Amino acid sequence: MTTRQVAMVMDLNKCIGCQACTAACKSLWTDEAGQEHMLWNNVETKPGPGYPREWEEKGTRSGWKDGKVQFGGLHEDKDFGTPVALNHEAVYFQGTEARLQRTEPLEYGPNWHEDSSSGTYPNNYHFYLPRLCNHCTKPACLEACPVRAIYKREQDGIVLVDQDKCQGFRLCNQACPYDKVYFNHVRRKSQKCIFCFPRLEQGVAPACARQCPGRLRFVGYLEDDGPIAKLVREWKVALPLHPEYGTEPNVFYVPPILPPAFDAEGRFDEDNPRVPMEYLRYLFGPEVDAALITLHEEMEKKRAGKPSELMDLLIARDWKSLFNIPDVRIASTLDGSFPGAG
Amino acid sequence: MTSTLTDRRQIVQAGGALALALSLKYAPAGAAGELAAPYGRWEDLMRHKWTWDRVVRGSRGINCTGHCAFNVYVKNGIVWREEQQGEYGRSGDDTPDYGPRGCQKGVRQAKYMYGPQRVLYPMKRVGARGAGKWQRISWQQAADEIAAKFIHHATESGPESITFAMGTQMILKRASFASLFRFCNVSGMICPETFAGVGDLPAGAHMTLGNSLPGDSMAAVFKSKCCLVWVCNPAATRIPDAHFFWEARYNGTEVVTIAPEFNASAIHSSKWVNPKPGTDTALAMAMVQTIIADRLIDWDYVREQTDLPFLVRADTGKFLRGTDLGLAGEGAGHTFYMWDEATGAPVVAPATGVVKKPAPPGAPPEGHLGLGAIRPAVEGRWTVRTASGSTVEVTTVFELVKELCNRDYTPERAREVTGVHPDVTRQVARSFARSGAGMIFSGYRSCKWLHGDKLHRAWLLMCALTGNTGREGGGMQVTQLARGDGVLSYVFAGIGPRLKIAAISIWDYVHGDGKALNENAYGAELAEHVDRHFREAVANRWLPDYGRVPWKMAIMAGHNPANWRASGTRWRESVFGQLDTIVAMVPDMGVTAMYADYVLPISHHYERQDITMEGRTPYLQALDQAVPPLGESVDDFTAILRLTEAISRQARAQGMAPIKDSFHGQPIEHDYARMHELMTLGGKVNATRDIVQMIIDNSYGVPKVSFDELRERGFIRVEDSAQTQFGPGSPYSYETLRSTRDKVPYETLTGRQQYYMDHDWFLAEGEQLPVHREPLANPGHSARLTMGHARHGIHSMWRDDALLVHLQRGEPDVYVNAEDARAKGVADGDLVRVFNNHGSFVAMAHTSGGMQPGQLFMYHGWDPMMFRGRQNFSAVISTGGLLKPTSLVGGYGHLGYRAPDYVPNLTFHDSTVSFEKYVEPTSAS
Repeated sequence: MTTRQVAMVMDLNKCIGCQACTAACKSLWTDEAGQEHMLWNNVETKPGPGYPREWEEKGTRSGWKDGKVQFGGLHEDKDFGTPVALNHEAVYFQGTEARLQRTEPLEYGPNWHEDSSSGTYPNNYHFYLPRLCNHCTKPACLEACPVRAIYKREQDGIVLVDQDKCQGFRLCNQACPYDKVYFNHVRRKSQKCIFCFPRLEQGVAPACARQCPGRLRFVGYLEDDGPIAKLVREWKVALPLHPEYGTEPNVFYVPPILPPAFDAEGRFDEDNPRVPMEYLRYLFGPEVDAALITLHEEMEKKRAGKPSELMDLLIARDWKSLFNIPDVRIASTLDGSFPGAG
Repeated sequence: MTSTLTDRRQIVQAGGALALALSLKYAPAGAAGELAAPYGRWEDLMRHKWTWDRVVRGSRGINCTGHCAFNVYVKNGIVWREEQQGEYGRSGDDTPDYGPRGCQKGVRQAKYMYGPQRVLYPMKRVGARGAGKWQRISWQQAADEIAAKFIHHATESGPESITFAMGTQMILKRASFASLFRFCNVSGMICPETFAGVGDLPAGAHMTLGNSLPGDSMAAVFKSKCCLVWVCNPAATRIPDAHFFWEARYNGTEVVTIAPEFNASAIHSSKWVNPKPGTDTALAMAMVQTIIADRLIDWDYVREQTDLPFLVRADTGKFLRGTDLGLAGEGAGHTFYMWDEATGAPVVAPATGVVKKPAPPGAPPEGHLGLGAIRPAVEGRWTVRTASGSTVEVTTVFELVKELCNRDYTPERAREVTGVHPDVTRQVARSFARSGAGMIFSGYRSCKWLHGDKLHRAWLLMCALTGNTGREGGGMQVTQLARGDGVLSYVFAGIGPRLKIAAISIWDYVHGDGKALNENAYGAELAEHVDRHFREAVANRWLPDYGRVPWKMAIMAGHNPANWRASGTRWRESVFGQLDTIVAMVPDMGVTAMYADYVLPISHHYERQDITMEGRTPYLQALDQAVPPLGESVDDFTAILRLTEAISRQARAQGMAPIKDSFHGQPIEHDYARMHELMTLGGKVNATRDIVQMIIDNSYGVPKVSFDELRERGFIRVEDSAQTQFGPGSPYSYETLRSTRDKVPYETLTGRQQYYMDHDWFLAEGEQLPVHREPLANPGHSARLTMGHARHGIHSMWRDDALLVHLQRGEPDVYVNAEDARAKGVADGDLVRVFNNHGSFVAMAHTSGGMQPGQLFMYHGWDPMMFRGRQNFSAVISTGGLLKPTSLVGGYGHLGYRAPDYVPNLTFHDSTVSFEKYVEPTSAS
């Protein structure tokens, strides 16, 4: 039984799609053979097929249904894309090839639809959606594992795949509706985001959050009286992605508010949101209507020069206030040794 | 004996610890160590992964102006990863702090520095240029051969036949660029100016304010109440600071993105306004019209700070001057008048007509802007009797602006040009004017239009009418540059200034036959118009004559002109390709190095020591050396010392006499036998860190710390930087605030923010006031290819990083409107050929509903080497010969050829294209 649950809130009104989180995670955890295609953290343009390709289509066939875990099948490798090397040596140093390019062309990649805006100009719309394992309260992956290699830590609710126990059956990959479990073809193991637990244990926020220049990721425990609880429980402006999948994610999103659309004459049309509400409801469930109303009302207060606790919370003037974890500190104060090694 | 580089991979692997890293990286399962690791529980495996041996402070020091503080983690002798140091302070009260900064490129540096693009040892070309056939040579051989060429060209054609350009890889590493500047200063080489040279000079800001780089810290954005993000996409190009915009929006600021395409910044803005590409000046002037029509004007500010109340003669279109009213003497020609409502007569505008007394360079203008008892009229028409006895009608600059706006730029008229609904124009203009802190946040792209100067002038006019220039959270923001005093203390040490800086636009016009280029692209009439003004400007001695000396040799440090030069393909073949000797000093291969004769290996950002200062934050940042340079690479200063040692040794051996030269008319000599001694200051400066310390010690506004302390801390705060606007004690420009706060005259002809330019050439061009001019087009082509700094690269850097390429399309892509594409039978992901009468290139179509119909968009910096036929977008950019006549003027106060304030921009945007589906020939590789 989990006694405490760590959680993340990502403010989509601040995500600029820079992929610093993606690169930070990759350098730290998935830079080995067999992990090339893995982005435990990715950022995709929405609407769009995302990473892996059409994961939401598989999502509807995975997760929980009527109290049972569904197995939605597996993606092909090409739905992830692989970052292969370029032919630098042949072009620059041997002079045997003329054009610098990937040694295999990319057919599809994790950010293929970057800024591929939906709809028709000038009333088109898109935004960035960063994704990682949701460390769900009801993890379908855990339920799916036939050898009980997946467990949810009691002290923080982080969901982990025990690499010693994993037999590579890939049922977790099929069950996760968010497609956030990956298969290492070299080790023949399933692997996924570990919420940077080694860092968290030492009071350092996960790399994707701490290295986010957009300052959009709040990290903390749901039980604590901090920004996470306020945004999720009190203000109800942070919502899980696709709540209908039934896994009860512990990663939440502040929904995006885009600039107004134009009317047929080219005037601002404040009455019609640029992003269709049906699409936001599809992503974040029916609670998104109330969340957006709250956000708009509080933004209006600030426009009128009045105070707003919610806006101040989202502004987060102190960078470190994003991380409500015990003894928050910066990595440079650590000596880099293995914890407990003396 | 020559051998091509078949042994490169072995060389890489001989890199010791690196070899270990590579072999682990590419090892099959089972050999990768961790499977056999003796850890019991698997969680410990992950805990072990997050361990390291050492942390070193680092940054990149490249021309992104981010200068982000990073901890560089060293493990097993190699840089394992990096992470933002993070904990910064804030500027001003109530603002968000600066942490953590950084971006994905910075976070990839640890991987990229070990990438296969690294140059590991000196190479000499053995095949044709661009063939990629090299011989590995020793540093000694490289230095000796380059020195021999250097002495040959300097002797035969003069040192001005050699250029030494510094580029975006290293130009912000202050000690490194000091070393390059000094190399130029002691040798007489030409240093190409790469600010206007890449079209980055906000010329209109210099024209108006006498300060080309008005800008506050990035935290000032949070203090804005209405922020127009205009010709700028900070969500992609200012990643470390973009948060201030969205935090400001939450804080009640109206953030308005103005861009033809729905860009990444538009997503998060309160409003998005979408003018047609290149019509921004018309939109800005329509906002000026609204501000004037609605009388949303800060009259006191306008009277005191601007030339808007200055009198202009109706008959000549010239300012009413002292010479018109019978004044004699030196100051008469720049004595200007206002109409005093108190006396009902013209009155000399305060602080005009001042005859400058001899003063040290950099001394502020004399006089005071205070009006005293004068009550200048802003509106009205009067008659004045001149000294010659005639009566002339005069009016104010403000009246002329009003008349112009009411005639040509009502929001309804402007709509015909911009496509923006008049209600939108008025709504945004009113919001800006009424906000109390109206900011126009722009980027360098605004300078890359031929008529971008008039856009800056129009923006500043919006700011002036509303009293926003100089106000916290207000004004036009581009960037800030630190003073050069510390750098110049080394550059000029012992011998004084003799640095020869050349404008790239003019250099290319002369050496690349700009007239023929203009004829081909835009027709004979325009070509002759440009050329006539160019010839006159040279004849008037407004411009130096670069045609006197042939261009023989180019040395380039982290400089990649074959990538970006306007009219690039043609330039690479007909200008660059004609040089006798090309030397590239680079950490990474790219197209310029590929076409060089010698490639010298330069250390990467975590392998060297230096400092950076960028006014986006109040911090001075250290770069420390985390690991020794890979292969035989060395930092720029060390590379230069190897060259100067060889030059001096050969000069002595030949008994070479000093080369006679002149600088600003004064005779000087270059004694190459002493060049090396001059670089080391007689043995006192032997490493980059010595220059770093010299810069710190001699920089105004920089705390006097030792470099050792600095590299422990990573960054320190500069002086007088507590607020969002830098104070007079800071190392950053205070010029504009000096005028708005302290009433010191502006460094312009009129001593005011100057909106009216009465130089004959401005009058002839009809540019005495900011007006819209339709961007140039290539005959028969109607689509606009707009461009911007890349999200996943800094200029040409990181464009070939395997992960970042993977996070794009795997190859260069061009954004096109989805319906435009459909009409041409082009689907997303198809190849398209983009072409005009200048050239063509092939890229992948990236369709989007966010592109304006008729617009294509491509990020800067994709290397030509990544394109079919090595033709990148520069193949269709036919602007390399365009020189705006008004940018060539001289003899007009602050307007005249002077780097870096007023030199003609090399521009990039005034060309049009077509596109069609491209089918790869089956035989192509």
